[in-house]
Amino acid sequence: MSITKTICYCLLFSYTTAFISCRQSVSNTPKSSSTVNVTDFRGVEITLPKPAKRIICLIESALSGIYMLQAENQIIGISSGVYNKSTFAQYAVLDERIKNKTLPAPGNWDFVNIESIVALQPDLVIIWASQTESIESIEKHGIPVYGVLLKSVNDIYKEIHDFGIMTGKSQRADSLISYSRNEISQLRSTIKIAEIEKKNIYFMWTQGLLETAGTTSTVNELIEFAGAKNSCRTSKEHVVINKERLLDWNPDIIVMWYDPLKSPDDIVKLSEIQHIKAIKYKQVYELPSVFLCDLWTLKFPYAIKQLAKWCYPTSTEGLNMDTEKQKMLVKLYGEKGEKLIK
Amino acid sequence: MNRRIIQILFYIIPLPVILASLFIGPSHTATPGAIMDLFLKTSDDSNLIKSIVFDVRLPRILLSFLVGGSLAISGCSVQAIFRNPLTDSYILGLSSGAAFGAALALAYSFLPVQLSAFIFGLLAVSLSYFTARKNKNVSIVSLILSGIIVSGIFTALLTIVQFFSDPFKLQSIVHWTMGNLHNANWEKLRSSVIPITVGVFVIFVYRWRLNVLALGDDEAKTVGINPERDKIIILIAATLASSSAVAVAGIIGLYGLLVPHMIRMVTGPDNQQSIPLNFLFGGTFLLIIDDFSRTISSFEIPIGVFTMLLGAPFFIYLMKKTNIGWNN
Repeated sequence: MSITKTICYCLLFSYTTAFISCRQSVSNTPKSSSTVNVTDFRGVEITLPKPAKRIICLIESALSGIYMLQAENQIIGISSGVYNKSTFAQYAVLDERIKNKTLPAPGNWDFVNIESIVALQPDLVIIWASQTESIESIEKHGIPVYGVLLKSVNDIYKEIHDFGIMTGKSQRADSLISYSRNEISQLRSTIKIAEIEKKNIYFMWTQGLLETAGTTSTVNELIEFAGAKNSCRTSKEHVVINKERLLDWNPDIIVMWYDPLKSPDDIVKLSEIQHIKAIKYKQVYELPSVFLCDLWTLKFPYAIKQLAKWCYPTSTEGLNMDTEKQKMLVKLYGEKGEKLIK
Repeated sequence: MNRRIIQILFYIIPLPVILASLFIGPSHTATPGAIMDLFLKTSDDSNLIKSIVFDVRLPRILLSFLVGGSLAISGCSVQAIFRNPLTDSYILGLSSGAAFGAALALAYSFLPVQLSAFIFGLLAVSLSYFTARKNKNVSIVSLILSGIIVSGIFTALLTIVQFFSDPFKLQSIVHWTMGNLHNANWEKLRSSVIPITVGVFVIFVYRWRLNVLALGDDEAKTVGINPERDKIIILIAATLASSSAVAVAGIIGLYGLLVPHMIRMVTGPDNQQSIPLNFLFGGTFLLIIDDFSRTISSFEIPIGVFTMLLGAPFFIYLMKKTNIGWNN
């Protein structure tokens, strides 16, 4: 009995040891080549066992990036804002499901329906990093969350680079990023302006004449890439200024964010700012469309070119904005870009 | 200091403050020296300075004065007719109605913000009034209660609009609800001056009746006054003045509550004396606060923030130094 028992115990011990070693060796195995690792804008490392195939993207600009990567089939949920905004027509061209309003919208920039998200069984959720409570709730269900926070052009590059890794479209992401970088550097070599000759631009948000962007904003980069200077030197992203400041700054050009209810003519008519150079010489312009000039996407070089053309018409004589638009849409959206042009 | 002297001071002080405010501002071009040159006509290059002084500062100064004056005088009259020191012109849902109207216009652009705020402000007050009306009578308690309910309803509606607004629109709505005078111009001043003047004038004419109404309905009837009719007239006038102020300047919280108490601490409870002083001091005080608000930083800080930060310590100081004045 004792010999049989001893053999049995020995065997049991050996199997147990072998099993534990086996488990340990599995967990210590380096991450397989298909594992996806990125660090989001919160500094949190996201690990996916394989590129995400079921993505919920609750940020409109980020969604645009995913369409640029041609990973639209991996999208299973979008922000409800896509259905309500002026950009709906363009997204309807990019995706039949959006056109037919069949793509679920389980949230937007400030509200997220956790139940709907869980029911969609995503393997990745893309959301603003500031939505901390929603992120916490989603992560509690074991769903990986990529938090986005865009403050500069480099952040846009990082976002697209990470999206490329997470969707398995790294090559396309890198190609789009280098396209965007090249577009900017080419433009900058065309318009080499001495500091003293730089045009002074006042940027005006849709909310009103006095709502502008400070130095820590993508708008500031837009202006600087176009070879100009931002009138507002306040280090705030979005700021309401005093009318006297605007008169003091005396900008050469006023650039309005696209506003369906206001036109440059309305600004030119404002009696209290008639002494501003931009008004005197009728240098008030409006960016043509939210979709084309989205500053949080790789489309921002188009807005930069448009600004440069307004500021330095002689140096940018060769730039035809219609051709630029067509080139950009085809490059960024492929075949669907051609449909967008139409 | 003698009460009489203080009262005289309150009558005298608005003009110098208005003039001094013309010299105060964030501009590095329109400095006091440059403005003096403009007035003395010693400078040739004065177009920009002229524009800053007459197109930017002057309409803002006058609008601040009118808004402050109308909120104070409305608050004082409402406190008198409700015989309640804790009420102001916002008690009948005016501020929440106006905020909802402004938010709706900011989010969906169906009407100009100012007009929408005015319409919904008046709508809220009318709703409160008709809800409280029973058998052709309006009791003060039911009027205040219905004001609280209507206010709650419009606050809920405002929350819904905010909830469905995008971040930029939401920011505009929040700015509006904090009170702002940075968009002041001649057009805004023109649009508000008539309703404010009418409202203020009616209250001024009825100021002695406020004293009688403050004693109670039975006492008012004994001296031949129809309290219901007079209350409604004064309420309409106060609403007209304050809703016009709210429409152009947003919600400047507690101003209509604080200023009447400050004046009462100095002059006592006689409305005949305090009504004109409320208008003059209310206007002057808001103007001084706005002078701080527009010069203290390179960007605009909502005036509602400063009315509390500067008004509250001053109020506490007066409260400690004098009698609250309600029971005098």
